[in-house]
Amino acid sequence: MANAIVKRRRQELVVGGVVLAGLALLPVPIKDVYTQNLIIITVLFAGLAQAWNILGGYCGQISLGHALYFGIGSYVSTLLYLKLGIPPTLGLFAAGIVAGAAALLIGWPCFRLSGHYYAIATVVVGEIGYLLFLNWDFVGGATGVFIPFKGESWAELQFKTAKLPYHFVVLAFAAATWLAAFWLEGSRWGFAWRAVKDDVVAARSLGVNIFASKMAAAALSGGFTGMGGALYAQYVGYIDPDSVLAGHFSILIALPAVLGGVGTLWGPLIGAAVLIPASELSRSYLGGSGRGVDLMLYGGLIVLVALARPQGLVSLFNWRRKSDVPAA
Amino acid sequence: MNRRALMLSAGALALSGRTAHAADDVVIGVVYPLTGNGAAVGLDAKAPYEVAADIINGTHAPIPMLMGAGGGLPKLGGAKIKLVFADSQGDPQKARAEAERLITQDKAVAIVGSYTSATGATISQVTERYEVPYLAADNSSPSLHTRGLKWFFRTSPHDEMFTQGMFEFFAGIGAKTGRRVQTVALFYEDSIFGTDSSNVQRKLAEAAGMKIVADIRYRAASPSLSTEAQKLKSANADVIMPSSYTSDAILILKAMAEIGYKPKAIMAQAAGFQESAFLQGAGALAEGAMSRSSFAGDAIKSRPAIVPVNALYKAHNNKDMNDNTSRQITAMLTMADAINRAGSAKPDAIRLALIATDVPGDQTIMPWKGIKFDATGQNTLGTPVMQQISGGVYKTIWPFELAVMEPGWNVGQ
Repeated sequence: MANAIVKRRRQELVVGGVVLAGLALLPVPIKDVYTQNLIIITVLFAGLAQAWNILGGYCGQISLGHALYFGIGSYVSTLLYLKLGIPPTLGLFAAGIVAGAAALLIGWPCFRLSGHYYAIATVVVGEIGYLLFLNWDFVGGATGVFIPFKGESWAELQFKTAKLPYHFVVLAFAAATWLAAFWLEGSRWGFAWRAVKDDVVAARSLGVNIFASKMAAAALSGGFTGMGGALYAQYVGYIDPDSVLAGHFSILIALPAVLGGVGTLWGPLIGAAVLIPASELSRSYLGGSGRGVDLMLYGGLIVLVALARPQGLVSLFNWRRKSDVPAA
Repeated sequence: MNRRALMLSAGALALSGRTAHAADDVVIGVVYPLTGNGAAVGLDAKAPYEVAADIINGTHAPIPMLMGAGGGLPKLGGAKIKLVFADSQGDPQKARAEAERLITQDKAVAIVGSYTSATGATISQVTERYEVPYLAADNSSPSLHTRGLKWFFRTSPHDEMFTQGMFEFFAGIGAKTGRRVQTVALFYEDSIFGTDSSNVQRKLAEAAGMKIVADIRYRAASPSLSTEAQKLKSANADVIMPSSYTSDAILILKAMAEIGYKPKAIMAQAAGFQESAFLQGAGALAEGAMSRSSFAGDAIKSRPAIVPVNALYKAHNNKDMNDNTSRQITAMLTMADAINRAGSAKPDAIRLALIATDVPGDQTIMPWKGIKFDATGQNTLGTPVMQQISGGVYKTIWPFELAVMEPGWNVGQ
């Protein structure tokens, strides 16, 4: 049995490497900047959804306030860059640390709540964060922050029209979140978190520190989400509370993981690979009509997947389910 | 129709399609929120651009204004303007991606847009990087033109110019009637629009020596504004200056009426106060309220093009032109004129032609002094007008030479 697990994990690592190599080589056949942009946004959301998955999937704490960590990350790196001249390649890590710390700060009171109550608390905290930034003049308030283009630079992650550098940057980000999830699956922490998710009382009786587990998952998840926010800000070049902190963004972060398969290694990537292109392509090629056909298609797709594959799209590739699911 | 007839007609269509395009079409990208937040305004923006394209491309009786002759762009061999619309959903990231797609896939030589300031900020960044002109038709945030962009142009006045106009009107009416504005109350919603607007109003009120007796920021789309109405009543300023969207605008008028407060004067930063939904919803309560506008549909004497353009617009959309739609038509005509003068669909030539733009006001449908861009790309001649609701419709009261009625002015009585 132990050997089977080791073997399976080794297999997954190989699959991970192949997928990463495949994604890294995508720009070779794909030269069109619009499609490259689509891939960048998809991979970024795959990383964000994986970050959400660490807390929401593996530890079972459904957060609907991840926009807050995303927003904090984007503001931290942007303000460090614009006000203190710290390049975003460093600011990225500061963003991760501050967002992770924020997740701890919010987790402290909120993890006393469980289940739906925790989910509702995250919605409220997210909204408070949004209002704070909206009314805080130092961070640009409602006007937002504009990142001027100062010339091509890797340190500052600024590129005039080239998409390739960002392709690799977001790929590295998504790969890091994937590796974190992979490491978790095989580590003592990961087992503890999944125990917390399945049955809190049983987990406690086995000596799992529930509160510490939740806090650690929140810090890791919030930290990665913050780093994703920093990359987003630098890529788009403009942030304001409506575009990085608004409540609907929390849903957009969670949705790929939910659709793809919660608490699975591949769910977030598969979910993002389906959802983001569906939403972007339908908007670009049908949205110009202004009839909302794109949104209907998008909504219909989500409903369809939820009805036909409630376990998530990842269950379509059920090479591991046979060995995992004990005979009922 | 049998299969052969179908194929024949399809072939004929393809042929006629080819021969009609003697000169290559000039593609202009138009980015608006067509779904999601702001979709109402974005969808309204499609008709004015289509009307503008019809005016430029079509055959019709000459209209006495810029590009009013029809028949395409004469200096490009009668080439037609072709519009490609894209949906930003009001999201800066999506607006950025759409602008990029229009430039790289649809080969748009210029972009026009985009209603919200946030999308204007990212679209203008893409156009700067791809070196394609962006013409802001209706983004009014002052933060947009102060970023040192080379490819950014804006025909519309920005909020500072609008507010400047309000205070010039206060000075003018004060001198005329001897009843001057001494105190103002600022009342604004907490998003980018209200924040920017109130910042300028505060600055200009202080500069004009007026006392700000109330400075009220409220949460946009509030369920109730009765506390705010109470504050406005106790301050009882000479002029209340709201920066509000439609539902808030109706709500505050109702809340003031409920507590029996009739303000001496209201001078609105357009937005909700200029919407037809507001005029219907507020009804008699709105009577006498004033608002800035960049359009004066009643200035038909000095702007003869208004009547024929409005007729075309109404045929298309069954509505009269308003503040937004008139600015959108004007932006497209300005862009077409620049492309025509450039004699080329090359973005750098268009940019130089835009810089050289100098259109007198009577060649447009706007009450502006004209269209001329400064070094930041801002039209410096886009002077606003002040209007007052009388009998349920807005009538122009300032500048006095364009006025169609005497202003109702209760301040100091």
